Amino acid sequence: MARAPIERPEDLFHFGGGGEERAAQETTPAAVVTRRPRRGAEPGEKVLITGIAGGLGRLIARRISGSYEVTGTDRTPWEGAPAGLRLHVLDVRKRKFEDVFRTERPDAVVHLAFIRHFRAEPEVRHEVNVLGTKRVLEYAVAHGVKRVVVLSSGYVYGALPDNPNYMTEDFPLNVSRTYPDVRDLAEVDTLATGFLWQHPEIATTILRPVNTLGYYVHSAIGGYLRRRLIPTIMGFNPMMQFIHEEDVAEAVALALQAGTHGVYNVAGPGAVPLKVAIRETGGTAMPVPESVARSVFRQLFRWGLFPTPAGAMDFLKYPVTLDGRRFQTETGFRPLFTLEDIFASVRR
Amino acid sequence: MLDVVAKLGRAASDLLGDNVFSLDREITERLRRIPTRLNAYGYDAWGFHPATARRALLVTALFYKYWFRVQTHGIERMPPGRVLLISNHAGQIAIDAAMIATACMLEAEPPRIVRGMGEYWLPTVPWVNIAMVRTGSVVGTRKNCIDLLEQEEAVIAFPEGVRGMNKLIWERYQLQEFGQGFMRLALETRTPIVPIAVVGSEEQAPAIANVMPLARLMRMPAFPVTITWPWLGPLGMVPLPVKYNIYFGEPMWFEGNPSDEDEVIGEKVDQVKAVIADMLARGLESRRSLFW
Repeated sequence: MARAPIERPEDLFHFGGGGEERAAQETTPAAVVTRRPRRGAEPGEKVLITGIAGGLGRLIARRISGSYEVTGTDRTPWEGAPAGLRLHVLDVRKRKFEDVFRTERPDAVVHLAFIRHFRAEPEVRHEVNVLGTKRVLEYAVAHGVKRVVVLSSGYVYGALPDNPNYMTEDFPLNVSRTYPDVRDLAEVDTLATGFLWQHPEIATTILRPVNTLGYYVHSAIGGYLRRRLIPTIMGFNPMMQFIHEEDVAEAVALALQAGTHGVYNVAGPGAVPLKVAIRETGGTAMPVPESVARSVFRQLFRWGLFPTPAGAMDFLKYPVTLDGRRFQTETGFRPLFTLEDIFASVRR
Repeated sequence: MLDVVAKLGRAASDLLGDNVFSLDREITERLRRIPTRLNAYGYDAWGFHPATARRALLVTALFYKYWFRVQTHGIERMPPGRVLLISNHAGQIAIDAAMIATACMLEAEPPRIVRGMGEYWLPTVPWVNIAMVRTGSVVGTRKNCIDLLEQEEAVIAFPEGVRGMNKLIWERYQLQEFGQGFMRLALETRTPIVPIAVVGSEEQAPAIANVMPLARLMRMPAFPVTITWPWLGPLGMVPLPVKYNIYFGEPMWFEGNPSDEDEVIGEKVDQVKAVIADMLARGLESRRSLFW
């Protein structure tokens, strides 16, 4: 059963050395060569939030509107938005999107205009997610933005059997290997990481939060846990980390405030097995043999009766748990909501 | 032989008494004292779950006390905090690991959970993956091992790997080639190494051949043929009731660069190997018989 641990191939492709200390240092040399020194956001700065009318967008807007001047874009209007918040109802794919940068001249951009569900055509997903991100980053350079926060996701690492339990930020993004339907979101992350290296003068932060739950946020895991009968894979019960939506909003606020420059996992208060999460949110697990699950749910997805493609099933088999220490050390972030709070927020 | 049967009979009748219950109580009480941190739902950060481990430990403890009648020597040498347990490996199935883990639970002070480093294919096997994680083991990646040691856990590794586990009966107690990964990790995390010699395991399932084509066909690391397996079917997997002696050596501290050349690391590995070989030789010398 046991043997001496193997050195993983990806460990050989580091920039030398090992461990978290190095990871923290990697970002510092860039700071030395910048002409405009990076620093944290100051009160009263203009922050543009793309995708502001979504659940998380609203929470982030509310969280930071006390300290900054918030403007936002979204495809749908936001009824009852806080007073003083300017909302531009438009699509990131439209020409007018650049006008927002031109007229608002934001100091910081929080980018979360992504399509994460599968009701849209793959072409639309690609245009909004990949090309949309490309445009946001281009406009940020062109219009003198000083800070960019891109809200990626923890699942870009992919669910593979040989995942270590606590993956650090330098772990490769493997999600497309078993779940090609979300490769656009892995590409978004890669695009933003490339931008981070190309533009040391802009404080760029890529956040990869773990499974986000809460009242407002629409996440695949939230939709899954809100079912009454919840399909699981027979004989598998992986550890899963969760974070409350308010803590993700807090993480974005901290990234702005601290002026971080780097890629960060954002981990919540801890991990439990999938079935404990199902029990604690009031659902009933329905174990299905893997072979049956794959074919049945592939068909159901094709007919529009199940929200996620079959590739998502690997996330019900193998743990995708992240090491969040880098973000904690650099920003002092501590999740406020406990696992009990998180489960209570989605309990029916 | 009759003597063995009589002993087994006595052991079995003992079991019918309240021994099982007292053993269960003892395990429960000891599990409460392990230095591992658990969350509000009773799991540690890697998915270890004492409530599940308790049941598994009851089974291994019965094997420990009555089937292999394990005698543990020098377990008090195990230092508190992070430690790498390095042992010889044999016997076709990893009972040696289970017995060392049981010893550390029943006889160490305070009781310790031994963290196994599982092969990469184990997480893909239904139920096995759950059992592995709930009893405290993890997938054997470098990162997992470092994280566990930094959390002051006890990690067990068998540097012989399958080379040791699947050796044939006439190769018993001949230590196979040691991997170097454990030494690099020990240097990197400044972890003491406790060498362990298990006497008994190497005769529990005497293999006379290893049919590699069959192993490849079934995608297993080996396909051993023993005196009972596969002739007796599943029953042939039951190990012989050999007497186990587990010797814990003095902790060994090493210093140096974890990314040194193979030869430099190899010298340190050989020191550990020599200590285990020495303990094995002395253990075999003082052994009266295979079965008691």
